[in-house]
Amino acid sequence: MALLELSDVQVFYDKIEALKGISLSVEAGRIATLVGANGAGKSTTLRAVSGLIHPRAGTIRYDGTTLAGRQPHEITAMGLVQVPEGRRIFGRLTVDENLAMGAFTRHDRRGIAEDRERLLQLFPRLRERLHQVAGTLSGGEQQMVATARALMARPSMLLMDEPSMGLAPMLVEQVFETIRAINADGVTILLVEQNALMALSIADHGYVLESGRIVLSGPGRDLLDDERVRHAYLG
Amino acid sequence: MKTLTKAATTGLLFGVGGVYLALVGLLEMMQARPIVFGAVNLGQAVLALLALACGAVAARDAGPAFARAGAGLLGGLLAGALMALLQVIVATVPLQGMFIAASPALRNMLAFGFAPGPGALAMLLGGGIGGLAGAVLAVSVPSLRRAIVAGAAAVVIAGVFQELIQLMIQYEGIIGWIRDFVYTWQGLRPQGAVAIFVIAGGTSLVLSHRSSAGHVPSPDQRRRRRFISAGVALLVLVLMPLLAGAYIGEVLMLVGLYILMGMGLNLEVGLAGLLDLGFVAFFAVGAYTTALLMSGSSIGLLHLSYWEAMPIAVLVSILGGVLFGLPVLGVRGDYLAVATLGLGEIVRIVVLSDFAAPLLGGPQGVLDIPKPSIGSFELGSPVKLFYLTLVCAGVAAFIAWRLENSRLGRAWEALRDDEDVAQALGVNLIRSKLLAYGLGAAFAGLGGSIFATMLGSVYPSSFQLLISINVLALIIVGGMGSLPGVVLGAIALIGLPELLREFGEYRYLFYGAALIVMMRWKPEGLWPSEVRSRELHAAAGEAEPVAAMEPG
Repeated sequence: MALLELSDVQVFYDKIEALKGISLSVEAGRIATLVGANGAGKSTTLRAVSGLIHPRAGTIRYDGTTLAGRQPHEITAMGLVQVPEGRRIFGRLTVDENLAMGAFTRHDRRGIAEDRERLLQLFPRLRERLHQVAGTLSGGEQQMVATARALMARPSMLLMDEPSMGLAPMLVEQVFETIRAINADGVTILLVEQNALMALSIADHGYVLESGRIVLSGPGRDLLDDERVRHAYLG
Repeated sequence: MKTLTKAATTGLLFGVGGVYLALVGLLEMMQARPIVFGAVNLGQAVLALLALACGAVAARDAGPAFARAGAGLLGGLLAGALMALLQVIVATVPLQGMFIAASPALRNMLAFGFAPGPGALAMLLGGGIGGLAGAVLAVSVPSLRRAIVAGAAAVVIAGVFQELIQLMIQYEGIIGWIRDFVYTWQGLRPQGAVAIFVIAGGTSLVLSHRSSAGHVPSPDQRRRRRFISAGVALLVLVLMPLLAGAYIGEVLMLVGLYILMGMGLNLEVGLAGLLDLGFVAFFAVGAYTTALLMSGSSIGLLHLSYWEAMPIAVLVSILGGVLFGLPVLGVRGDYLAVATLGLGEIVRIVVLSDFAAPLLGGPQGVLDIPKPSIGSFELGSPVKLFYLTLVCAGVAAFIAWRLENSRLGRAWEALRDDEDVAQALGVNLIRSKLLAYGLGAAFAGLGGSIFATMLGSVYPSSFQLLISINVLALIIVGGMGSLPGVVLGAIALIGLPELLREFGEYRYLFYGAALIVMMRWKPEGLWPSEVRSRELHAAAGEAEPVAAMEPG
């Protein structure tokens, strides 16, 4: 069953059409990825899903209910959580406070404490830096904070926007391994990436976005082998 | 070469500063405030301070001791030369058409009473000696330096505030004897000045000796010390009006009102990051609501008692804050500052308008507001109202403190850092922002309510933009997001200028200077909040900071 389903979604920034009617679906428990060049509309798609902008036409359904007219915090409360592009951690708060912010919508103290402990095992580096101001961490560590913060909401689905952006190649590998580990825990993932090679290689299903339209879709492996994809994105 | 240039620049800068102080008339005015009777006045003290500071700054990082002394001497000489030049110009060219302060009295002061020629030489020499002394002070043993600075500061404070202090020690017996030993009614006696210098300097020496012989204070100890000194300050605040009478009561009352407003604005700006320049509107709403509910004049609505009117005023202020917040919900940063500025002015102009005059009294205001009373005991005097303010501020501080550490407080901090992400994590943007405006307004409304009953009348002219700016300045100087900072800021920016009444005109000059100095050397404020000092330390050092946080 599709956990997240977009059908014919159009988004305008004033008069500019950023998304020209895109449809995609993400199956529960899977990893789907949206690849494409800069400005293709990847981030816009995620912003529309998380409620930060409202589509002019089309529907977005999550777990069977429409998201139209919902505020971002309501969508978060439904279990659909975004890891924003460029990490966007709270740089002036400590790592621990960032994690606490992730659990903002939750009230089960015990569960929150357990999740915190679990995530600190997943990201041992963060335990060392727990009381450090998050803005002083390295890029890779900040990505860990952003991911852990999103997981603190105990999401059923995670929207990840360019998690590998600006990271050293070695760290990029690590990020994708983490994504796979999170998915193995049962979290559905929609991954938006410029690094098409890595993204497609871990995704169950891929979509190629080009100037606001989906031009190709199919299982990740197949897209990797597709001549057009290789030519356009993998060089 | 580099040290030479630096010393010369420093000297010239301080010289220009001195010339500026002289030409705006501040120096001459300070001359009228004696510190040590017949010997030193505030103007001379400031001149000396300029020379000393100039020497100390010029000597910083100048290498070996003799080079530092030379740098200090050069800086002081140059600063003195500029001042001497000013004195000679004032003596020879009629400048008063342009600078009204360039009077013979100023010349006389800058020449130390000598003729222009010898006077210029004296100023030059004085600058040199002062600069050298500053440099020597800068290279001397820290504990000794601290002792000298502490002694001098104590003498200046005891001298400048002599009237106030003497008012507090109007007793017979041993206290009277000490008072007469230290003071005349025109300032300190020389022997008193020496005694104060020795006592304050000695205390400083003993303290620094003890701490250096023992151990470095741990953060815990330091925090405890800070809270002890805060406690002592609070005690002084509580007792002072009783000892010093109505005038101090009035000043402290004003400080208290600003503390209330500061705590309110602190929620908005310090925690939620909503820069609000129309804050005075909430103060006005509280004042006018109280006035209309209580006033005995024909415009009064219900003739309630203060205790009935005050909660209603606070509620109406909260409502006002929410209404105020609605139109600016989607506005961020600099735009928000301008938008709130406009909203604040709209409130004042509406109150002034003929349209609202039948309800709010227009420019004539609302008169005949009774004082609060408990049973038959009327809180009639400023001192009694000060205690009311103190109690209200205490309650407000408790609420603000609880809010800071609440879920809502955390949501505000997250919003301040990154609105989009905070929302994405489940923070209700609209509710949190409106709560920040509403709760901030509640504090200001409470202040306004006390203000109305204190004056017994309210006029639109009492609610100028300047109040918003004052409140903002005091939380910046005190330390954004910090409650003790609000208190310190209010005392420094509102209390001190009130006590130094004759310098009232120069208040904004002082503000400007204080703000620049704070931003340059202590941007986190006098008593910073933990978060704030952390973030500044984060910006100052350590690898890979802020760049990675920018949205891509």
